[in-house]
Amino acid sequence: MVTIALAGNPNCGKTSIFNALTGARHHVGNWPGVTVERRSGHSDMGNLEVEVVDLPGTYSLAAQSEDERIAARFLSDPSVDVIVNVLDASNLERNLYLSTQLLELHRPIVYALNMADDAERQGTRIDLKALSALLGGPVIPTVGNRQEGIQQLKDAIVRVATGVEPTIRPVSVSYGDDIERELVKLVGEIGRDEHLASERPPRWLALQLLEAAPEAEAIVDQSHARAAIRAQSQTSVAFLEQHLGADCGTLLAERRYGFAHGLVKEAIQEMGTGQRSFTDKLDGLLTHRWLGIPIFIAIMIGVYALTFIVGKYPQDWIAAGFAHLHDWAAAHVPPGELASLLVDGIIPGVGAVVVFVPVIMLLMGCIAFLEDTGYMSRAAFIMDRLMHLMGLHGKSFIPLIMGTGCNVPAVQATRTIESRTDRFITILVCPLVSCSARLQVYILIAGTFFPPVQAAFAIMALHFLGFGLAMLMGKVLRLTLFRGENAPFVMELPPYRLPVLKSTLIHMWEKGRVFLSRAGTVILAGATLVWFLSHYPGISNRQWAVERQQKEEAIRAQKLPTIQETEQLEALQLAHESRVMNSSLAARFGKLLQPALAPILDPDHKRPEAWKDGVALTAGFVAKEIVVGTMAVVHQARAEKAEAGASLSPLQETLKRHSGMTPLTALAFMVFTLIYTPCLGTVGMILKETRSWAWTSFSIAYGLGLGWLLAFATVHVGRLLGFA
Amino acid sequence: MASQNTSKRLSDLHPGEGATVVSVEAQGPVRRRLLEMGFIRGAHLRIEKLAPLGDPMELVIKGYHLSLRREEGDCILVSQEQ
Repeated sequence: MVTIALAGNPNCGKTSIFNALTGARHHVGNWPGVTVERRSGHSDMGNLEVEVVDLPGTYSLAAQSEDERIAARFLSDPSVDVIVNVLDASNLERNLYLSTQLLELHRPIVYALNMADDAERQGTRIDLKALSALLGGPVIPTVGNRQEGIQQLKDAIVRVATGVEPTIRPVSVSYGDDIERELVKLVGEIGRDEHLASERPPRWLALQLLEAAPEAEAIVDQSHARAAIRAQSQTSVAFLEQHLGADCGTLLAERRYGFAHGLVKEAIQEMGTGQRSFTDKLDGLLTHRWLGIPIFIAIMIGVYALTFIVGKYPQDWIAAGFAHLHDWAAAHVPPGELASLLVDGIIPGVGAVVVFVPVIMLLMGCIAFLEDTGYMSRAAFIMDRLMHLMGLHGKSFIPLIMGTGCNVPAVQATRTIESRTDRFITILVCPLVSCSARLQVYILIAGTFFPPVQAAFAIMALHFLGFGLAMLMGKVLRLTLFRGENAPFVMELPPYRLPVLKSTLIHMWEKGRVFLSRAGTVILAGATLVWFLSHYPGISNRQWAVERQQKEEAIRAQKLPTIQETEQLEALQLAHESRVMNSSLAARFGKLLQPALAPILDPDHKRPEAWKDGVALTAGFVAKEIVVGTMAVVHQARAEKAEAGASLSPLQETLKRHSGMTPLTALAFMVFTLIYTPCLGTVGMILKETRSWAWTSFSIAYGLGLGWLLAFATVHVGRLLGFA
Repeated sequence: MASQNTSKRLSDLHPGEGATVVSVEAQGPVRRRLLEMGFIRGAHLRIEKLAPLGDPMELVIKGYHLSLRREEGDCILVSQEQ
């Protein structure tokens, strides 16, 4: 078994090479302890069985960011047999900067000169022989997304792995006499610890120490020779900085770029003149001063429509399928607790997870498509000013917009944000954006307590409030919990490229599958728990079941016309469910919550039924639209309109007459519903994306706190303004 | 022409203007990232355009396109090419 690692800059087409090498047979996971995706797969190359590991795309191995740390750690691990360095042929000099660091690892390297066709079209001629000789490894021109050069690349990997490749020779960047002399001293000190020297290439470690890379310092601190090594590195750094008049970071970067520049000069003839003409023309339009923003908005509307309007169809089919399954199970499984677990717990729970899959796949497909074309970085370029004012990143805009459809794919869409800080802030503020599930709650409540025009206005205001809060909290989080962790906005604007449909489809499939397996388990467990809480102990009450059975028989015995009989049976069923729910653990929990919710939902203590809001909100944790269904059960009134012409549904009538809610507390209820907690699906996704129970709990806790405060403010400011 | 080279901050340049990097004044991760991306002494760059809202800016360095915020551009000293 041979292990090869794919290393390269972002946007160099590494993923297409990975897909071409492994076919569809690959595994997506995470690197240990972090949220960075780890993709690996098998590839048969001649007689060799090869494991291909795709490293995160990085510009360097300085181990500053999470991505670089992972790449640096994996590459310096002895288990890697061959490094495949993917280079963007049309941007060679910058791409070679990473190669200069890879060379220090003293491992056999195969260079995949990707997008060789692009470079050729620009009129660039690359002397492969010269490049290969200068880099000390085979250089294979490839076009990853058209599978060109893949066989040659495989052949070269096999030759290198079996030790028969003639071009392989050790090459190091020469850093000049002064630096080299200090490096020799430092390598000598590292050599005192044989274990340390055999674990990592000493020269690589020495360079990392000169650059003050925290990772390397941590490694050295484990060594018994740490005192000598640290002392030498301090002396060397001080000497070089004084002697050469610049800090070591600058000196090393200059030498590396010097090496890369020399290589390009040697190996490239006829530098292209018509470089990026297509990209420049397109950018003239897409990032145009006046047109850039309208075009961006149009593209966002397109993505939104495709995701949530087109995605609604498969979503409805899945929902209908689960409804059939639900009805079938209700009819065929003998009634009892097991039936309820199946019918009211597991089937809707699994259904709630699966219905998200189409929108997740569509949205992630759109985003992958935009990313692959190169437009995503333009979108960030256009929106960054606005987002940065709010403590967010240009790329935060897309998740926030998508959040108005559904927060679950929105949180997943934050994957495109490279910096951890920016990504976490976006994840934490995303749930504040009002999604389509919450809209159903607003329609119920606002429709009950406000005349139509005011209701529409209130619903719109809630959406603006959600968006405004997301912005505000972004700034607050940036200034408090994420203070000082400001990631630079140094973003490449790669040339536009036509994406390959196959890689977009692979990406969509991966996202859907990963969502089902990771977030799905959390959602399913949560749904089962809420089912348990809202059905026990009433569901196991034999007496109630018998009473219900007797009443049903009594209704049937009357031999009423079918319509009336069905109506009465449904009312009976609702009464029974209501009895179970209102005596359940969830109801007790709702009553327990009552003192906490009273200041916002029952400020005058005049609402004996206010605890029912607590029950509905508790159940709404699974999914916000469940608030509506739960309200119907706890108030024992149907949420659907009795007849087409009726202005209010039976539930709305009941709420208006008996719940004791006023327009003002209704507004507070909606404000609280907007903010109080991300739904279970979103929580599952936040946990998957942050991999941290602490941040996940934080997102729930601050939502509850903020929701309560704002609902409280709504009631009291409303009172001051004279509303009731 | 008053002087061939005028030392300026990168963020003071206008679209279409070219310059050579003199030094990067940023510290820590920002400095390292800028160095890796090619902002080394003597590197040529050209300002391409500003984003529609005036920030960030797009520039060409080492033959590729990059965007930078004004606050990062503030800590890069350049000498303008006339």
